[in-house]
Amino acid sequence: MALDTIIELQNVSVFQKNVLVLSEVNLEIERGEFCYLIGRTGTGKSSLLKILYGDLPMVDGYGKVAGFELKDIKEKQIPFLRRKIGIVFQDFQLLNDRSIKENLMFVMRATGWNDKVAMEERMEDVLEKVGLRTKGFKMPHQISGGEQQRVVIARALINDPDVILADEPTGNLDPETSEGIMELMFEISKTGRAVLMATHDYRLFDKFPARIFKCENGRVIDVNAPAPETEKEEQE
Amino acid sequence: MAKQEEAIVGRRLKTSYISTVVSITLVLFVFGLLGMVMLHARKLSDHVKENLGFSVILHDNAKPAEISHLQKTLDVMPAVKSTEYISSDQAAKDLMEELGEDFIEFLGYNPLFPSIDVRLYASYANPDSLALFEADVIRNRIVREVHYQKDLVSLVNDNVKKIGIGLLVFSALLLAIAFALINNTIRLSVFSKRFLIKSMQLVGATQAFIRKPFVIKGVIQGLIGAMLAIFLLLGVLYAGQRQIPELVSFQDTNMLLSLFVLVIFLGIIISWISTHLAVKKYLRIKTDYLYLY
Repeated sequence: MALDTIIELQNVSVFQKNVLVLSEVNLEIERGEFCYLIGRTGTGKSSLLKILYGDLPMVDGYGKVAGFELKDIKEKQIPFLRRKIGIVFQDFQLLNDRSIKENLMFVMRATGWNDKVAMEERMEDVLEKVGLRTKGFKMPHQISGGEQQRVVIARALINDPDVILADEPTGNLDPETSEGIMELMFEISKTGRAVLMATHDYRLFDKFPARIFKCENGRVIDVNAPAPETEKEEQE
Repeated sequence: MAKQEEAIVGRRLKTSYISTVVSITLVLFVFGLLGMVMLHARKLSDHVKENLGFSVILHDNAKPAEISHLQKTLDVMPAVKSTEYISSDQAAKDLMEELGEDFIEFLGYNPLFPSIDVRLYASYANPDSLALFEADVIRNRIVREVHYQKDLVSLVNDNVKKIGIGLLVFSALLLAIAFALINNTIRLSVFSKRFLIKSMQLVGATQAFIRKPFVIKGVIQGLIGAMLAIFLLLGVLYAGQRQIPELVSFQDTNMLLSLFVLVIFLGIIISWISTHLAVKKYLRIKTDYLYLY
């Protein structure tokens, strides 16, 4: 294992309840790396991400993310693992009972910020990055799906995490915004953070080439690795 | 349009908050009401028991010194609340007033004996203590007999015991009901926030951090509920005393205050425990299972 490896999985099996979704998953991502995770719907992309942020238990195999060993991780440690990871959820997971600003504030307070001025500054900063600086006062249900997605991205960035796990972060965005977000993610990965992004948007690969992992037939394949049986990614 | 929608949502949310407080209030009110009934019942039974007392009938020839000695001996006994010496003349006068007839003139002599009326503390007013007391007092040379209504004492005691046990069982039952109802109400309001709780967990908040605002809100609801319940209880007390003025004499401010403190304590503790358990439940469930319920 290289010194810079921040996500490491060895022989991991991914279960959804009692159904084996993926097996023998081997995966290593280093700091500064940007990776795609592709595959048809239902092939286990989201489940794999859930394993990484501790929402699904790791039944067997070895896994380590940002210094936390995933096998037998204690319930109490999971919040601290998640603070190292910025997660862009497919289903947003915004707190619908409060405004966008308060959503971001909540995350900061929950993760140990207490300097009001610094919090305010940080919030302005990330909202600026996703182009929502003027909409902080709105409630999540008052903005569009694409805007909500950008709020989720802003929230994922707010703690300057080591790892960003994004589950179809551009799924609801128009091409221009999604390009902007991709540029942002690439930039982040260049500052020594690892980004793993699940997507269906194959157009991105030409513009933003990177390592690709593919979920297929219950396995995760490193597409760029020289393997004779792996063909170019198939279209949905 | 958006404003209107917001207002409707706001109102709905407020309604659920209010209904939680209202149910806590009502449950605590009924509990407090029972407590007040119990307090008054105890005071009432004490009152009846202490008024029962008995009379120590003395011999005619008892000397004043002996009588006052006996009275003093009685006074220092721990069971005795008060004593009153009634001379035969006084007894005759009382009886004459009662009968409205001058029976001494009619009989030619006073047939009544001097006596000492003894009032006991409620805790000693039972047949066993009275029997011991009688045996003790009757040994005195100047005592002719000890007079009390044995049946009445037993009757009062039996009834008080029965009612007391009944009230106790009922209040235990009510406490269980109070807990179940408040718990259920709080559970529902936490249940409606289960996805919110899950989202908070997913962004790295610790369980304690998530639980805190819920518990604080629960405790405040419990406190408000308890305050409203006490307000209602005071209202009932006031109305009761207006209707039955004799109730005032049974009022024991200290006991009443203790009862109110108990109501507040219950309101806070029950909602605290309920919120804590309800939130904990949803903190432990994995995301996928949330959708099953």
